[in-house]
Amino acid sequence: MNGIMEISNLEKGLDSFHLGPINLTLEPGTITALVGNNGSGKSTILKLIMNLVKPDKGNIKVLNKFVHGPDEGWKTTVSYQPQPIIGWNAFSGRTLKKFIAPYYPNWDEHLFEEMVKRFDISLDKKFIHLSPGSQQKLCLALTLPKNTPLLLLDEPTTFMDIPAKQVFLDMIVAWMERGDRAIVMTSHQSSDIMKLADYLCVLKRGEWVGTYEKEALNNMFKRYWLSDTLPEERIPGELLRTNNQIISNNPDDTEAYFHNQHIKSSSQARLDLEEIITLLVE
Amino acid sequence: MELPIRLSKSSREPIYHQIENQLKALIAGGQLPEGAPLPSIRSLSKDLETSVITIRRAYQNLEYQGFIRTSQGKGTFVAEIEDALKQQVKVSEVYQTIENAVDTALSYDYTIDQIKEIFTEVMESHTRKDDNS
Repeated sequence: MNGIMEISNLEKGLDSFHLGPINLTLEPGTITALVGNNGSGKSTILKLIMNLVKPDKGNIKVLNKFVHGPDEGWKTTVSYQPQPIIGWNAFSGRTLKKFIAPYYPNWDEHLFEEMVKRFDISLDKKFIHLSPGSQQKLCLALTLPKNTPLLLLDEPTTFMDIPAKQVFLDMIVAWMERGDRAIVMTSHQSSDIMKLADYLCVLKRGEWVGTYEKEALNNMFKRYWLSDTLPEERIPGELLRTNNQIISNNPDDTEAYFHNQHIKSSSQARLDLEEIITLLVE
Repeated sequence: MELPIRLSKSSREPIYHQIENQLKALIAGGQLPEGAPLPSIRSLSKDLETSVITIRRAYQNLEYQGFIRTSQGKGTFVAEIEDALKQQVKVSEVYQTIENAVDTALSYDYTIDQIKEIFTEVMESHTRKDDNS
């Protein structure tokens, strides 16, 4: 089966920053979050997919078509919500929709109207006069109805209030139900990632740490609380220790060691996704 | 639709298995009657903050064991299941709960006899409550 998108050995240098090499395949029906610190290259990856930045090495295929080739036919199969949006200030939502909709063969007018209503967006105000939150809502209402197989979202919820974020989650869930689609998103809102992402593509200052299925990531680390003080020697898998608590990046080895040494852990737990991400990118 | 599923961070049981077992208990206990619709895979993965891969695995196992059925284009529903299977789920859930309690007691270095004593006390206090009501 062919994926929605394939990134192979992608590399890009920008001044002293080097991104990649990155490999990533998107299967239909999945959501992948790009995670990493500020400046780790997340937005650059989205720009590379959109052919707004040229790679130094490697290639990207969307629905089996090279995005960096002369044929730009693939462009109507991808929708992209950048951050920030440039060039929209002078136009109203109504005008922007008239520019955008005809370009996409599967434009869903009904979905657009539903989003305008649920997000309570004013279509007559110029973009520049909308609040940052309303600008984001309008961008999303002009992006989802394109109904493309691939959707790229760069920090889609930064300025949204809590109820709007709930609407956003519902909208994304419903949008994903409607076909063989895939999403790549960046977000600093951990709830977006926890509730939406199936895979996390982790970046550390441009270096690709790996792409993990969410539950595999959850099982990578474990925290143990010991009844007695910790032994002096390093425990297999030990990553961090404080008082009688250790975090292991190899739970199997750690537990085998506890068993052999007759050490009892009074409690053990998986780490939070935020802690896991922090351990991977720092 | 929100289901009363609570995932444990400290359990050694894999997440897909926790979801599978809790759905079985909801079906066997009658909270999810035959024909009741289950949330879509994407929507349950949002509610439980798991991946769709995990939910799909739980749903596939439940379908294989005859607890749910999927009808193309319509969604996933609770299947018709025999009373014997319902009983089996209930019994194994009670066993599991008691086993967990015993594990907790053992981790605090209680002896089997002490655990039996505690168990008897708990049972007696329940009997008294029943008598009073």
